[in-house]
Amino acid sequence: MSVMPSNNDIILEGVDLKKHFGGGGIFSSPTVVRAVDGVSLGVRRGETFAIVGESGCGKSTLGRLLLRLIEPTGGDVRYEGQSILKLSKSELRRLRRELQIIFQDPFASLNPRMNVGDIIAEPIWLHGLASGEGKRERVADLMRIVGLLPNHADRYPHEFSGGQRQRIGIARALAGDPKLIIGDEPVSALDVSIQAQIINLLEDLKDRFGLTLVIVAHDLAVIRHMSDRVAVMYLGEIVELSETDALFDDPLHPYTQALLAAIPVPSPSNRQPKALLQGDVPSPAAPPSGCRFHTRCPHARAVCKEQHPALEQAPDGRQVACHFWREIQGAGAGSISAPPPSPALAKRLALYRTWRERQDKPVATSP
Amino acid sequence: MGHEAVRQQRMEPGSPGTAAVAADRPLLSVRGLSVRFDGAPKGVNVVDDVSFSVSKGKTLCIVGESGCGKSVTSLALMGLLPTPPARIVAGSALFDGRDLLAMPENERADLRGDRMAMIFQEPMTSLNPAFTIGDQIAEGIVRHRKVSKAEAMERALDMLRKVRIPAPEKRLRAYPHEMSGGMRQRVMIAMALANDPQLLIADEPTTALDVTIQAQILTLIRRLQEETGTAMILITHDLGVVAEVADEVAVMYAGRVVESGPVEAIFEDPQHPYTIGLMGSVPSLGRRQGRLATIRGTVPPPELMPRGCRFTPRCPFADSRCVNEPPPLGEIVPGHRARCWYAPLEKYRGAVA
Repeated sequence: MSVMPSNNDIILEGVDLKKHFGGGGIFSSPTVVRAVDGVSLGVRRGETFAIVGESGCGKSTLGRLLLRLIEPTGGDVRYEGQSILKLSKSELRRLRRELQIIFQDPFASLNPRMNVGDIIAEPIWLHGLASGEGKRERVADLMRIVGLLPNHADRYPHEFSGGQRQRIGIARALAGDPKLIIGDEPVSALDVSIQAQIINLLEDLKDRFGLTLVIVAHDLAVIRHMSDRVAVMYLGEIVELSETDALFDDPLHPYTQALLAAIPVPSPSNRQPKALLQGDVPSPAAPPSGCRFHTRCPHARAVCKEQHPALEQAPDGRQVACHFWREIQGAGAGSISAPPPSPALAKRLALYRTWRERQDKPVATSP
Repeated sequence: MGHEAVRQQRMEPGSPGTAAVAADRPLLSVRGLSVRFDGAPKGVNVVDDVSFSVSKGKTLCIVGESGCGKSVTSLALMGLLPTPPARIVAGSALFDGRDLLAMPENERADLRGDRMAMIFQEPMTSLNPAFTIGDQIAEGIVRHRKVSKAEAMERALDMLRKVRIPAPEKRLRAYPHEMSGGMRQRVMIAMALANDPQLLIADEPTTALDVTIQAQILTLIRRLQEETGTAMILITHDLGVVAEVADEVAVMYAGRVVESGPVEAIFEDPQHPYTIGLMGSVPSLGRRQGRLATIRGTVPPPELMPRGCRFTPRCPFADSRCVNEPPPLGEIVPGHRARCWYAPLEKYRGAVA
């Protein structure tokens, strides 16, 4: 792929991926939803790659396509340079060990009739990694790694809280020694304090096992915190792809700028009127002509309605799909200023961290 | 509740309502509200001794995580709590001088949807799929005003304009499923404001919405509030939203208010360990500042609720006193209160490092 010049160690790659849903009902004219429409991206080994966008932008569909959980309408997915679309069932099963997924709703993705030990052991058994005592030990290990008590292995999913269930999902994903994990909104169903625990856990695991993470999410603060590179999606297409800090400091695409401007800033003394994006996301069944963002874009001109902008190269290995990104960038719009915490908060947070570490010492499990 | 007498005394001298009565009497003043679910262990109320007040044109944000009692509090105020299992065991809620909790049900029904209104989190489940938007807005107007159906529809159209729904005439005859989530939430707001309520309770009004739509709705709510002078209680778990819209904040944890005060004080000078931990748990929008601070564990189930401060099992600063004695909601500076024995922390917990 020509768009990834700087780093060639691509572990997972999507090439011009398309997924169109639907077709005609018996009585209705066919409607085709272009959930993902010509997306190319490469995930580098060891990075955390984020896919961000609003509901209906196709980010979850893209995540599933990358694992071949659903079959693409067009395009190719390559893992370690090899297309995974032509693999046979048994080859695909072997691949599943290395590519794993964590879902948003841990309750819906865990079998309520299996106890936690069996849920985590299933991939171990399926891939023939261990059996008997070895398997039990491995399950206990995994539970400890994700911060669960191994003696809870005989409990059922409903006996756990949302955060703990997400830990079960993570343990199960880890069971087959994966190389890459896709998290589909892994923390968005969780309370703030639990969310922080899971984010820290994912980061620890990534370091410990040398994982590559792909995070599909809508929360930009979480993405800024976790990821190395970000792809911003709008109506089935990538509109901007960039290193995280560059994207947040200097967003190029007007949609990225609008997304960043819409985030509530947690500082009451810095309230200011915002330039708001008008209207809703158009239906992906009938995307606007030309640039799909032109119906809501404050910078749109005549040409945007007619010509579809290609994802073009910008400096520093960034990519942006906008006819006028150079001029818009000149206007200096969009970057967000997050004020530093107040001195009192900073002081107490430091104090909190110090005592918090001490709190963890007696029991050497993660938070 | 055995502590009742003690509690009453504690509340009296400092209640923010009494001090500034003449100048600015709050529209709603809740004192010592406690709600108990049948079957809960003795002494563990799902909402326990909650007090706050809201003035005309102001916004109070109640912040907290799932299970902290913020929604139960708002349902209790609206008179929408199912009894059984929920029972209001103590407290008063003076709304415009009258105690909501002591009012007969028919009077409350007259207030509900008229003087006080509510917006819920998920607009799709709170709109009736079988009726048009116009019918549903008009229904509330006809219930409380002596107007004809046609006049009510006229008013409904006005409201759709007010919440800036494009093509309002057409939308009046639309059904909920024909609209997007953001539009539905606008309809809910139009419905809630149709009778010019004095108090609006919004329970997570933007949680189900995308961030660009959330920004639209928050701006809309604020603008309407400026126009009408409605007092608002906004319930949320999102500290960013709080910082954007609140005048006053009450942070709730496990059924109790653990910290309350003006929004600037809460964000710039947070006192309670839970508030601080919560702020440390939210990833910053600025450059990465290292790992997130976390709050250990989860909210304990009712049967394991500690006798003293309910945050004890998760609090890094807690000691034996916290386990046994519930701390009062003490005043740190006028108007800013925290329910912690050791606030300010640097004074009591700063020395040992």
